[in-house]
Amino acid sequence: MLIKFQIIIGILSFILLLGTFELIRKGRLREEYSILWLFTGGVTLLFSFWPQYILSRFLTRITGLYYLSTVVVIAFLFLLLIVLHFSVVVSKLTDRNKELAQRHALLELEFKELKRLYLPPDTVSP
Amino acid sequence: MEIQGKILVIIPAFNEEGSIGKVVEEVRTYLPQIHALVVNDGSSDHTSEIARSKGAIVLDLPFNLGIGGAMQAGYKYAYVKGYDIAIQVDGDGQHDPKEILKLLHVLEEGKADVAIGSRFIGDSEYKASVMRRLGILILSKAISMIVGEKLTDPTSGFRAANRRAIELFSVNYPQDYPEPEAMVLLHQCGLKMKEVPVKINQRYSGESSITKIISIYYMVKVLLAIFVDCFKKRPVLKIGG
Repeated sequence: MLIKFQIIIGILSFILLLGTFELIRKGRLREEYSILWLFTGGVTLLFSFWPQYILSRFLTRITGLYYLSTVVVIAFLFLLLIVLHFSVVVSKLTDRNKELAQRHALLELEFKELKRLYLPPDTVSP
Repeated sequence: MEIQGKILVIIPAFNEEGSIGKVVEEVRTYLPQIHALVVNDGSSDHTSEIARSKGAIVLDLPFNLGIGGAMQAGYKYAYVKGYDIAIQVDGDGQHDPKEILKLLHVLEEGKADVAIGSRFIGDSEYKASVMRRLGILILSKAISMIVGEKLTDPTSGFRAANRRAIELFSVNYPQDYPEPEAMVLLHQCGLKMKEVPVKINQRYSGESSITKIISIYYMVKVLLAIFVDCFKKRPVLKIGG
């Protein structure tokens, strides 16, 4: 029974690692966002190879969960980290987006002003 | 009264075509020597064209940023163009341009960096629902406690800022609930505020951004935001005199 789960989780981890790697290679995923994904894949892969590894045994003892549940919990914790990381990224992007919009508006106003001052209206093509 | 220095009135407007023309007209009639800047916050109606036709400078944001982002854009303009005083006035016409002089007077005396028009001191006959009054009361108590002086109207968007405050706001302006949060920010940066009694008009058009039903929800969110602000890293700024 355990070996079956081991194989499934091993394959899933492998696909996750491969997928992440492929996305980075194609430039679709930036390295800074990929580290957590790679970690998630790596850790679950380790668990599929050594289900009785020290960390797994330790987690099983303190949480009272069985092997599969332990893997799920670990994957879930990583997902939490990834989502939190994304919230930070989105906040940063929102801030920059705001800055850009404001600067764009200010420049546009300045530009219109200059155009009005230095170009007679009949030379400006609509 | 003699008005000195370069003064800008910042009017943020989001879909205010019904009232913006009248607001700009009034400002320009009562205070012809003052420039009016309308920050069009991505309106889908004719706010921008109407404001421009009434003689205002119009700053068109490419999309809606919300009141905080729009106000900050206005302060950035005031900063870049070297204005000495910036006055924020709502685009819905609830602030009487005649009252602007009261705000200017406080700044000219040099008693404060920011003058805030309050509906709750003096002989104002401001009418609001009980819920909203209660919300504003609790909010003002909380902010007074943080700031360490008595402030009565934290949600007032009728304010005048001197050069120091313009500089601060152009770099750092709260986004979510800008009016109450700006008070905390000013306090943290060591700038002085002073409230002035002002009269408030009935709205020309449009709905209040704080409707009766959500006023409690609004208050709780603002209190939370202010609470978080207290723990935020103080903005590092070198503000010149």
